[in-house]
Amino acid sequence: MTLSRNWPAWVAIARTSIRHHYIYRFNALLAILFTGLQIYLLTVVWKAAYGDRTEVDGIAIGQLLVYLTLAQLQLRFLQMELDGDIEGRIRLGQIGFDLSRPVGYPSQLLAAAVGDMIGQLPMLAVAFPIALIAGELSGPPSVAAGFGYAAALLLAWILAALLNMLIGLVSFWTLEMSGFRMIYNLVGNFATGALVPLWFMPDALRIVIQVLPFQAIAFVPVSIYVGAPATGALWSALLLQAMWIGVLIFAIRWIWGQAFKHMVIQGG
Amino acid sequence: MERISIALALASASLRSEFQYRANAVSSVIGGVIYQLTGFLVVWIIVDRFNTIGGWSLAEITFLYGMRLTAHGIFYLCFSQMFDIDRVLISGEYDRFLVRPISPLLQLFTRQLRVNCFGDLIGGAALLAFAARGVGIDWSLAAWTFVLLAVVGGALVEGAIQIALGSLSFRFLSSIAVRQTVNEVFNQYGNYPQRIFPEVLRYLLTFTLPVAFVAYFPASALLDRTGELVVPAWIAWIAPALGVALFGVALGIWRKASRGYQSSGT
Repeated sequence: MTLSRNWPAWVAIARTSIRHHYIYRFNALLAILFTGLQIYLLTVVWKAAYGDRTEVDGIAIGQLLVYLTLAQLQLRFLQMELDGDIEGRIRLGQIGFDLSRPVGYPSQLLAAAVGDMIGQLPMLAVAFPIALIAGELSGPPSVAAGFGYAAALLLAWILAALLNMLIGLVSFWTLEMSGFRMIYNLVGNFATGALVPLWFMPDALRIVIQVLPFQAIAFVPVSIYVGAPATGALWSALLLQAMWIGVLIFAIRWIWGQAFKHMVIQGG
Repeated sequence: MERISIALALASASLRSEFQYRANAVSSVIGGVIYQLTGFLVVWIIVDRFNTIGGWSLAEITFLYGMRLTAHGIFYLCFSQMFDIDRVLISGEYDRFLVRPISPLLQLFTRQLRVNCFGDLIGGAALLAFAARGVGIDWSLAAWTFVLLAVVGGALVEGAIQIALGSLSFRFLSSIAVRQTVNEVFNQYGNYPQRIFPEVLRYLLTFTLPVAFVAYFPASALLDRTGELVVPAWIAWIAPALGVALFGVALGIWRKASRGYQSSGT
């Protein structure tokens, strides 16, 4: 990899991304407020569904509420805008400058994603108390669950960035993307299992969602965190995430090769 | 009369301009439908697995969801440009509205059409049609008329709140954050039987922000569930009229606020 040689470029790109986030901090606060509203609604609705029962299918109500709260909170911070950025830069022809840099374009995007994540971190100071008020949070039931979650969260972040990048690369073929991206975001959002955990889905739907990569972004890490039995072995869950990362890296390499040939630099 | 025909001409021009980018317009409509379907899917899965939410059956909740969605679709079809008022004021576009011979508010509403409202309308109508047979309502002409009045009234409630809050922009130039938050509350909390909420929240969603009037009250009236409301039954029945009244108040607020308009000079 060219990674080690180019680290100053990487750091510079990441820094720009951090600053970008600072400029739009008001929007970020609003998004966190919406997440809080959603968490509260979800927990009330699921509590009403449980009614007097304290446990359904081996999932205790407390576990479920922590699951819903953490899944929403986590998704908020895994939200990325690489796809929109790629489209915007192609539209304005700025992509020409990006490509003339001595760092590969996919690695520039990854650096931007890292910066974006770092830029978001201070927002945790707001998001965490809001989630705590709106929903329910408690520590993981075991040390293994805690460490398992940390590892799964890192893999989930990489997966989210790669998926986002993959969708962005489609802009090299067509710029009329907003409708398509909306559909993708919605299907993807539901398929993460953040609104309805996979335990409670009808079998047919669960099978479809299990073969998609999205569940590895929310359901896999968060169910590890709450120590839900249905997750099965920790290692196989992490392995599944790693497998998806491998598949996506391969796909991005291939598509990027095709996109490069296809490129049109729009005049300013 | 003339005003209405001008408004329709302007609206159809914005519809044509949206469909110039046909692929994008069509996928926006499909996106709108899918957006609503994923929201509904959550409700459907929960009721499928747990039988009821707050004592409401799947058909009843679907009916409520369909009414809210249709009302929201009408609201978005007519008033979506309220979400752009900040930009219109800051860019000075509002100056242009003032020199033309029809009301600036009408020009604002017809300046652009957001096609994803058709997604809401299609989704809402489909849910209503799907639920209609299962809810045990005697579908007389009067019942259908009430549904129609209720969804229009619901659209007016949402429209009134957005117009009243949008008036703030004449003074503060930006009120989008407040309006988006309020819209989010309507979108998220309007679709569920409010019985499942704590009492304080139920009063807030009735008297502070009239979310309950958009669909929950009229749906409860039709479904004979007025016993569970925080208000007497007759209030649920006159919900559509309240939409008209609120809308009138909102127009008054807008008129008063717009007198304080100062051009940004751009």
